[in-house]
Amino acid sequence: MNGFALKTVPAPSEKGSAMPRRRLNPLTFLFIFLGIALFLQSAIVVHARPQDLITGAAGIADILRRSFPPDFAGLPDALWPALETIDMGLFGTAIALVFALPVALLAARNTTPAKPLYFLSRGLIALARVVPDLVWALIFVTAVGLGPFPGALAIVIHSLGMMGRLFAETIEDIDMGPVEALTMTGAGRLAVFSHAVVPTVMPSLLGITLYRLDENIRSSLILGFVGAGGIGFQLLTAMNLFQYRTVSMLLILTFIIVVGVERISAALRQRIA
Amino acid sequence: MSKPLIEVSGLAMRYPTGRMALTDTSLTLNAGELVVILGANGCGKSTLLRCVAGILQPTAGQVHVAGEPMTALAGRPLAEARMALGMVFQNANLVKRRSVIANVLTGTLGRHRNWKTALGLLPKAERPFAQRCLEEVGLGSFAEQRAGTLSGGQAQRVSVARALAQRPLALLADEPVASLDPEASEELMGLLRRLAHEDGLGVLCVLHQPDLARRHADRILGMKGGRVQFDQKPADVQEVDVSSLYTKPAPEALPA
Repeated sequence: MNGFALKTVPAPSEKGSAMPRRRLNPLTFLFIFLGIALFLQSAIVVHARPQDLITGAAGIADILRRSFPPDFAGLPDALWPALETIDMGLFGTAIALVFALPVALLAARNTTPAKPLYFLSRGLIALARVVPDLVWALIFVTAVGLGPFPGALAIVIHSLGMMGRLFAETIEDIDMGPVEALTMTGAGRLAVFSHAVVPTVMPSLLGITLYRLDENIRSSLILGFVGAGGIGFQLLTAMNLFQYRTVSMLLILTFIIVVGVERISAALRQRIA
Repeated sequence: MSKPLIEVSGLAMRYPTGRMALTDTSLTLNAGELVVILGANGCGKSTLLRCVAGILQPTAGQVHVAGEPMTALAGRPLAEARMALGMVFQNANLVKRRSVIANVLTGTLGRHRNWKTALGLLPKAERPFAQRCLEEVGLGSFAEQRAGTLSGGQAQRVSVARALAQRPLALLADEPVASLDPEASEELMGLLRRLAHEDGLGVLCVLHQPDLARRHADRILGMKGGRVQFDQKPADVQEVDVSSLYTKPAPEALPA
């Protein structure tokens, strides 16, 4: 077939070919050069010295040797902090969900009741999102003291920003037909939202929330490092006391929690979709 | 039936762009009557329908629906006056993930404005009535099915059932068969005619198909360039009148 076509249709000449030979144009060249330059400056700024890794290998080996075997005697004591870590994520996500829904409604261009509210909620979302949860945790630890509660609060605020933005984008993508139809029946604004918008976006919203739950449990591990309780705090303490066998046990526990939550969240999301 | 259900007089609409979409348009719609508006794209028929529904505010003229001056109302009173008008759109505009009956029930929300419906609950007491509306459009056995699984024709009939659940006096249909095949179009127009003749609804329907209009309408309104060209019974409408709606302006009006 192909050969036949080649015979009947005169082959395009080399110069006037429909698919010109790719030539490196000067602009592409410039971008490649700039890319390499950008990378090189980053290597200099971070003081990248691979030889340090080689000389440090002995130190790493030493730590690995001292963390083996993991000290499972301390496991029962670590279970409560583990629960704290998981619950920080759970509580934080749940509360964030409750607040993210109305905020997203105001922050979606097609459902916002008024422009000022749109900008206000967009600003709120940006602020909550741009400040990392670690910084929120530091602020709340100062405000309400050590423990898992400031960590949960940090997760609430940060997730509110993340979920609010994703929810708003999901709402902006919907087909406005049912909204228009329900508005014409004389239904109130809130009823139009809950009957036309919510059922349409529900699966996406649940998916986003489950993904966020997974992320939040992982970040609640880190939040412990700034005094917000949970496994992170245990990990920090064990590190400071050079109890490397406890550290390795905690890392294994962390691994199980993170992978477990990830799997459950992925499985649930698959069922929704 | 002494007073017409919908009375439009001297309606004019100029868009902010300066285009005159409607000029001195008048029409009446009586209960029990199916009136079809015919015309080419951009002749002002959708604008007219939107002005009647109170979605657009006309530049001049008046619209009365069941005696209520739509053009003089705004906000909540307008929304309440509008409840006498059931809308059927080009697309069925159903919430696809919900059941058919839930979609029909949302048509009753205007009568049930309270915190329960605001939170997403459906008025349970209306369920038998919604079922009757569904039977009215011949889909009584589809109540529990997901709206997303319906065919185009079925979905459009469910949207009619939703409009009926609103207990309207008149239906306004904006090209309701635009996305349907000929058979489903015929069925839907038959349904609209039956609702007019048997249930005494006034039906105002914008169409693109002259043959459908001839078969189903009690009156045909021909529009061109924002003006009503004729308003006659189908039997009196001449073929040339219809085709003149779709002819372009004289060649000299076009740039060379």
